[in-house]
Amino acid sequence: MALNRKIAYIDLSTGKIEIKPIPIEIRRKFLGGRGLDAYLLYNHTKKGIDPLGPENVLLVSGGLLTATLASATARTHVMAKSPLGGMIGSANMGGFFAPELAWAGFHHLVIKGKAEKPVYLWIHNGKIEIRDARNIWGKTVTETQWAIREELGDEEIKSMVIGPAGENLVRFANVMTGIKNSGGRTGMGAVMGSKNLKAIAVRGTMDIKIAHPKEALEYNKRFIDQITSAKVNQTQGTLGTPFIWGATNSWGGIRCRNFQYNQQLYCDEIEPEAIDEVCTQTVGPYHMASCFGCQVHCRAKYRIPSGPYKGVYDEGPEYTSQGAFCGEPDCRSIETLLVGNHLVNQFGLDNLETGSLIAWAMELYELGILTDKETEGLELRFGNDEALLEMVKRIAFRKGWLGDTLAEGGLIASERIGKNSFDYLIQVKGVSNLHSDERATPALALNVATASRGSDHLRSRPAIDLYHLPEPVLRKIYSTPVPYDGPLSSEHTEYVGKPWQVFWQENCYMAVDCLGICKYHTVFLGATLPNFEDWPKVIYYNTGLEFTPRELWDIAERCNMIERLFNLREGLKREDPYRGDMLNHRYFDEPTRRGAPDVVGRVIDREKFRKMIDEFYSYKGLDENGVPKPETLKRLGLENEPSHLL
Amino acid sequence: MEIRGKVLTVYPEKCTGCRLCELVCSVYHDGVSNAMRSRIRIVKWESEGVYVPMICQQCQDAPCMIVCPVKAISRDEELNRVMVNHDICIGCRSCVAICPFGAMGFNVIDRKNFKCDLCDGDPQCVRFCEVKAVDYVDAERISLDKKRAAAGKITAAQRQAIALELESR
Amino acid sequence: MAEEKEGLTTAEVLRKTRTYGQVRCHNPSCLGRLQPEPGADRVKCPVCGMEFRVTWIKSGFPRIRGPVWDVNVKIAEEAFQRKMKEEKKDGPQ
Repeated sequence: MALNRKIAYIDLSTGKIEIKPIPIEIRRKFLGGRGLDAYLLYNHTKKGIDPLGPENVLLVSGGLLTATLASATARTHVMAKSPLGGMIGSANMGGFFAPELAWAGFHHLVIKGKAEKPVYLWIHNGKIEIRDARNIWGKTVTETQWAIREELGDEEIKSMVIGPAGENLVRFANVMTGIKNSGGRTGMGAVMGSKNLKAIAVRGTMDIKIAHPKEALEYNKRFIDQITSAKVNQTQGTLGTPFIWGATNSWGGIRCRNFQYNQQLYCDEIEPEAIDEVCTQTVGPYHMASCFGCQVHCRAKYRIPSGPYKGVYDEGPEYTSQGAFCGEPDCRSIETLLVGNHLVNQFGLDNLETGSLIAWAMELYELGILTDKETEGLELRFGNDEALLEMVKRIAFRKGWLGDTLAEGGLIASERIGKNSFDYLIQVKGVSNLHSDERATPALALNVATASRGSDHLRSRPAIDLYHLPEPVLRKIYSTPVPYDGPLSSEHTEYVGKPWQVFWQENCYMAVDCLGICKYHTVFLGATLPNFEDWPKVIYYNTGLEFTPRELWDIAERCNMIERLFNLREGLKREDPYRGDMLNHRYFDEPTRRGAPDVVGRVIDREKFRKMIDEFYSYKGLDENGVPKPETLKRLGLENEPSHLL
Repeated sequence: MEIRGKVLTVYPEKCTGCRLCELVCSVYHDGVSNAMRSRIRIVKWESEGVYVPMICQQCQDAPCMIVCPVKAISRDEELNRVMVNHDICIGCRSCVAICPFGAMGFNVIDRKNFKCDLCDGDPQCVRFCEVKAVDYVDAERISLDKKRAAAGKITAAQRQAIALELESR
Repeated sequence: MAEEKEGLTTAEVLRKTRTYGQVRCHNPSCLGRLQPEPGADRVKCPVCGMEFRVTWIKSGFPRIRGPVWDVNVKIAEEAFQRKMKEEKKDGPQ
């Protein structure tokens, strides 16, 4: 059964491997996935370690429900101290890796030390082997995966790999599986690279016993109906995430020219429908693909239709690629978008971070803070497609002064570039913001500022805040499983009620990350999707474990607090612009200029923003500095951390 | 004459590769999640994005039935399926070797062969496949549907040709 | 409080308001329901004036493809000028 999946400790320095069961008391406290990873990270690392040194610990996991009949349990979670911002490093990806890992007998891997030479891990039905990777070092993301399959003689092997960017210790290198499933944020690929670990290959044929198979099947069928009847998922299943970018850009919620504008104009060629047309022409009418066990099928398949890469197959592009290769640098060519997406997938780069940093460099170049000397003659202007794609390559291979500098991430790069370059860097805790512009949406701004892994939209974003849902509907969602009778507002420009929404979403997303479920199967983009009330049943039918919705909420709160403890230990300070719950000053000082009439002319109000943070802290049980109160730690059972139970 | 038996049919182009069918198949038959136990398998060419569901065709002249040395395999005409009687089966795997579709599996945990039994008339893979990449339909419908699809393409082409001709006049 | 629709799930509450043949205005402060003429390639929001290009998934199922740029850019520029004038009078919004 799911509960007998094990944890393996792998020391790459010594080659020692230790396999242990995961005690049920630990499950009841941290469930699995991201929550348990956060516990392990806090317990197995020391304050102030070098994220790219052997003392950093790389955690790889599936969730409690991975490979069971809960819906879409495809997610793999990867955690370590982040080389990008020095805070929690955490990335989450779909695909087929985590289910295979569970079938191979494992839920959690704790990888320590550093191998002397390039190696990869081979995990097969309860056994773990460290193998020589010198022959595959240097290969791209997909070449690596196919080479491992060939070497081990099994087409069914799933592997999590790094590309050249991870090998070159680019501080925002991805871990990847399949063609484009990416563990994208906070440079987990660089941590793998720093350990000389090229890949983790898994293959499993071990039974996972389902506690109540009949009920699990029937409940899953109900879940599927709920998931596929949500309109947002139907659109997602036709156009993929580009539909979000398209709709958001339409009203002015997209960063353009770094942070100068909140909308990209006349970009018809890269609209969701235009991308869809290319997919239809190059792959066929049925061109959407799914991750494991998912009915949303939001991943598009395409071939590059023109230019030097004509005919090359890839998947995506996701809306982060539209942000990276269209909105932020203000390029409008579909070929650039599809080629850029292909390059980051092959190099193993975080598209979001890459695009954001290049757009920042473009603004610096136009301002004269960067000159032809630093760019080595490259005309790094907004709208220069060739320069954009050239920079992607320079970053991945640390080519030239600027390529090498940007590969260090925004914080270090801004120090190297100097002058007032930091003022233009759109980041939180060293991690670049998504391509979205939150100046008209205080709830989303609060989410970005307080997300544990640095600026992020998948930690606590109340995305449904943009739907103007009637207050009773909001109340129904946000007052379970813990009562809430404070204000709630359907207005996306409002400040009241938003801290609670962000707090609720933070716990909701933590819970799905612990279970190993995709966020499209919970209250993220669709208000009607499963949440705390639904999960206890699905957990019980699949594993036999009993939880109340409230207990799941408490676990999520506890896990979020562990991440907070880690960040505080590494130096998080409330209003520190480098490592705080703080936004770039432009959010407060530069009004939006484009989009819908009500979106135009917006800034985040400093005072109201401060009050939102105060209120958010109070829900979390933090004091005004963002530090947990002793009674909060006691309530969550965290007063003795690190407790070294596992 | 009464028309008996529906057939399980596959539309590979519609498959999104999610493998939920494999999961529900193994849970329905064995109470466990394990793709290796599934009667239906999705074969993938990942580098081209091609996914093909592979299942037992319930052949009329089933090679597995013919090759079985102890006659453990027989046709169930009621549900139009080929069944293995495990009381008779000796586990020699001749059927596994001869199946042209690789649809006869051998389970290394239980040391038994296994194949699609159409879930006694309610195939779970079909029930859970939202995109209808697998379907369970009357045998006569399959060719009719294909005829209609092909005819549709021909008429579309004809209409285009007429339109072009009109334009060029 | 505010539980008029007691006993219904969120999905059921929202499903009741589902409409077909219409799209929602992309302006998040408006979200008015727009009903494009059958086969039309644009639709103008009668409430906020923003204009959108329409694509038809199939007959009876329209979808907004994107803004009619010239119209919406002009609306945004006017709104920006107006707000900056107001701000000078009243201080920040």
